[in-house]
Amino acid sequence: MKFLHDILEKQRPLFERGGKFEKLYYLFEAIETFLFTPAEVTKPKGVQVRDAIDLKRLMMTVVIAMIPCLIFGIWNVGEQHYIATGKVGSFWDKFLFGAIKVIPIILVAYASGGTVEVIFAIIRKHPINEGFLVTGLLIPLIMPATIPLWQVALATVFAVLVAKEVFGGTGMNILNVAMTARAFLYFAYPSDISGEVWVVSDGEKFVDGYSGATALAIAASVSAANPSTNSTTLITDALTAANNGMFSFYNLFMGFVPGSIGETSTLMALIGAAIMISCGVASWKIIFSVFLGAYLTGIIFNLIPGEPRPYFCLPAHYHLVMGGLAFGAVFMATDPVSSAQTEIGKWIYGFLIGFLTVLIRVKNPAYPEGIMLAVLLMNVLAPLIDFYVVQANKRKRLKRALAV
Amino acid sequence: MELLIRSTFVDNMIFAYFLGMCSYLAVSKKVNTALGLGLAVVFVLTLTVPLNWLINEYVLRPGALSWISPDFATVDLSFLTFIVFIAVISGFVQLIEMVIERFSPALYAALGIFLPLIAVNCSILGASLFMIGRSYDFGNSIIFGFGSGLGWLLAIVALAAIREKMKYSNVPAPLRGLGITFILVGLMSLGFLGFMGMKI
Repeated sequence: MKFLHDILEKQRPLFERGGKFEKLYYLFEAIETFLFTPAEVTKPKGVQVRDAIDLKRLMMTVVIAMIPCLIFGIWNVGEQHYIATGKVGSFWDKFLFGAIKVIPIILVAYASGGTVEVIFAIIRKHPINEGFLVTGLLIPLIMPATIPLWQVALATVFAVLVAKEVFGGTGMNILNVAMTARAFLYFAYPSDISGEVWVVSDGEKFVDGYSGATALAIAASVSAANPSTNSTTLITDALTAANNGMFSFYNLFMGFVPGSIGETSTLMALIGAAIMISCGVASWKIIFSVFLGAYLTGIIFNLIPGEPRPYFCLPAHYHLVMGGLAFGAVFMATDPVSSAQTEIGKWIYGFLIGFLTVLIRVKNPAYPEGIMLAVLLMNVLAPLIDFYVVQANKRKRLKRALAV
Repeated sequence: MELLIRSTFVDNMIFAYFLGMCSYLAVSKKVNTALGLGLAVVFVLTLTVPLNWLINEYVLRPGALSWISPDFATVDLSFLTFIVFIAVISGFVQLIEMVIERFSPALYAALGIFLPLIAVNCSILGASLFMIGRSYDFGNSIIFGFGSGLGWLLAIVALAAIREKMKYSNVPAPLRGLGITFILVGLMSLGFLGFMGMKI
């Protein structure tokens, strides 16, 4: 470590003011602070916030919290491939297959996002921080493993540029950057990201009777095919019947199903949530209220009488484990920049995300999944929620002050 | 009810049709001013759409005048549609302008030129024309006018809240002001795409 530090220190004069690569100072600074603790500390005098969490540590905690999802996702890509082609493989075979598919996507997302970030940092002279490590890992996790790499690059560049850098970089974006990347691909190349088959085939044929569709796609198509049945078990039966019982509640919860790389496992998302909540990085209020909102909306749809579409009757707890709801609630909705900032606002914000997710799933035949658009929409409305929460608080305190 | 939700969220005037952009972009710097203008738009829309419906039904559309006498059954005054609608809208805007000036001079000053400009706000004329194009009945035209206004109100206060928050953002100098707002509105409509195609 000492020797690495010496190498860096030797280069320092080149990058400081008046040095040869003065313009690239922030690149140097980024590499230095990635590797070592910055030397400056707050001076002992004066008013200051004392907290172990700074932006760096916060972002790295999120990255660590994503690792369970990532590792499970890599394995699951392999697992789904082996199931779909009817072959038998060991744990490491599956993991290796998944890694070959997933690692390039991550590298491309990091390289393209990082390039944009560095260019902006140099031109606009702002430091590079770990935010892009989070975004660059979130983006692969919400893509299907079959996504073409150039689309990953395009979406990442678009999202980092338009959703983040034009607003001034980290901490100033309005929309969640990773969700913007996905939404961009979703509307620009719908066939690649909302297609029927979510399993990497690699030229091998699927076994007979296997479909690579996600649980949400099956639920939507069953619901559309039997518009006037009022059976509560139609969808759960269809899910259980598909692919030899692959979509049992247990499998949906554990994540042994086709889907985007990191989103399938509710369990892994909850582990990530536990890490982030225990470190004080993510707001438990948002996560909890997203689940609550989705669950209550599911129940309300169950109770609506005379609605003849079977999707309405899907047991509410299925909504919580299908698709990307858990992943979105834990990693997307809690984005500290684009979510609501006030405490009451967080409850409203999370609840409406859950509500809108289920509403879009059930009511909107155009989109099988709702969490992406629900998060984006609530990102748009979060400042408004905050504004009115703050106003209400002001009025309350003013009243109290006047009453005395 | 269905129509109300549809016209507020699914067919949002701003995010689905990009109508009424000029005052939308100009008066969205503060939430309270935006709210004032938004309420004015709701009011004007709720009253003008049904009024224009009546005018269209009984005066303007082909054969509308036959209630006076059967001789007029062949008269078609629909070439007057635009000018009559605009006249009705301007009348209402004048009315609301006087009301705001009387009861809230602060808001009147804050809205400035954009209050009379509601008269040429495309979303208001647009709503009247959509109402004819989609052949709503009288009840529906009230709901549609109200819903469209509500959608516009929601859009403008949401944008205003974001812009208040963005005061702390470090936007690149060439994009400050309208440039970033255009990008922002584009991104906001991305969020609203979730409603597109929703069956209510």
